[in-house]
Parts: sequence; C-alpha cells; structure tokens
Amino acid sequence: MFADLKRLDSGLLQELGGLRQWLDEVMSDPAAADIRAVPRGSFPMINLARTDDAVRVYVFAPGLAADALEISIQDNLLTLRGERPAAPEEEARVEFRRERFTGSFSRTIALPDGLDGERAEARHRDGVFEVVLPKREELKPRRISVQAA
Amino acid sequence: MSEMIKQPTREAEVAREQEPQERRRSALRPAVDIYERDHALHLLADLPGVTAESLSIEVNDNVLTLEGEIRLAMPEGATALYAELRGQRFLRRFTLSHEIDGEAIEARLRDGVLHLRLPKKESHRPRRIGVQAA
Repeated sequence: MFADLKRLDSGLLQELGGLRQWLDEVMSDPAAADIRAVPRGSFPMINLARTDDAVRVYVFAPGLAADALEISIQDNLLTLRGERPAAPEEEARVEFRRERFTGSFSRTIALPDGLDGERAEARHRDGVFEVVLPKREELKPRRISVQAA
Repeated sequence: MSEMIKQPTREAEVAREQEPQERRRSALRPAVDIYERDHALHLLADLPGVTAESLSIEVNDNVLTLEGEIRLAMPEGATALYAELRGQRFLRRFTLSHEIDGEAIEARLRDGVLHLRLPKKESHRPRRIGVQAA
C-alpha cells in the first residue's frame, strides 16, 4: 500500500517537475534573468531598443539637466549616475504628497555584446536621455548576394 | 510607489483622485509632489518624453486632468529589447476644491517635469485679524 503511494508520489513529483520546467520555459522573461534588474518604479527607468545597426538606451530622468547624468560604459555594462536634489526645506511650505524620487542614484544595466562604446552618442530631450551604441561592423546583418552560376 | 500624504486637512481634499477604470490600464500614472505655499497649491509631475504640444491640462467641473503623450524619436524598425516604462501616455486626475481659482492656474514644463501653480481665490485666503488695544 505504501509502496503504491510512494509510486504515485514520485510519479506526481516527476510530473510537477516537468510542469515547472515547462512553466520556466513559457514564463521566462529574458529581462528577468539580468542580475542587475531592479524593481519597477526605480529611478530612472530604462528602456532598450534594437535596430539593425545600433542599440538604443532610453533613460527616463525627468528634471535632470543634460549635464546632470553621468553615463559610462565598460565592456557591455552601462552605468548611469546622477542626482535629483530634493527641494529645500521651507517653513512656509505644507507638504501633501511626495511621490517623486529625490536623491542620488546609480544604475547599471547589461547590454548585448558586440557594441562599440567608443562611438556611443547621447542626446537629451524633455527629460529623456537617448544613448545610441552602434554595433560593431562584424555584427551587423549582412546581405549575401547570390551570384548566378 | 510610496505615498506620503499628510492626513486629511481641508486642502488635502484637492488631491483626491478620480481615475476611471477603463483608462487606467492603458495609461501610466505619473509620480507627483503636491505642496502649498504662498496661497497656492503647487503640483510637480514627472512626465518624461512629454512635450508642450503633447501635454493637455484641463479643468472641468472641478476636476483637473493631466494627460501627456510620450514622444520618443524611435527610428523605424526598432524592436524593444527591454522596457521598464511600458506605455505611450501619462494620465492622472485630481479633484480640486472650490477654493482653487481655475482661471488662474499656471503651468510650466521643463525637462519632462510639469510644474502647476494653482492659486487660491482671494476670498479663501487667510486674513489676519488685528486686535486693538482696549
């Protein structure tokens, strides 16, 4: 009897193991695998996009002037540092809500390999910094023409 | 998102929000600071990527609506690799108490931060009552 239960048990466990594996495959988000991923709502928020010839990083840092964000790249790690100062304490000021981030921040994200940090460029507009990191030549998609025999 | 709200004073009623459910899903909720100074309420809202043209500020029936579309210059054919900011627009609503002078609201947008100044009506400002010596 116990043997039967045990057998049932192990069968169930195996199935569960299979289920978990299946779930991991289906639910896995490539972004979640990044050890440097941060909880949502962190400041500044970051989006990444890819085109054929570059990776573009969008840094949503409202209230930061163009020179207030320090952007550095080492290998494939992009680090963003800066500060959004808090408003000075004033006696005449009555606070009702404080949701906006204040203070200094430092964030590092891993970028895809094969980017040319030397040729990176950054722009700033309406509180969004856009960093363009061109792909190295050898990694750009190439069209291979077929020659007539 | 952490919220630090001074518990209900009369002015805090201003910050009571109204957000219809059906629109909440597609729009992002911007972080705001609200404080009072010099007979006016001030509202700061983080709206990165929103331009003066894509921002709309409306007061209707004592409801203040802030809505802004995020304008990113993304090249054709770009594919998203990773996104923390997921959405195309910001939306947030607040109920104003009637002491606010809706006609006199001033707005400034700089580096993706909106600064609204909502002055109180003259009749609602505190008056100092002088005590005369007997």
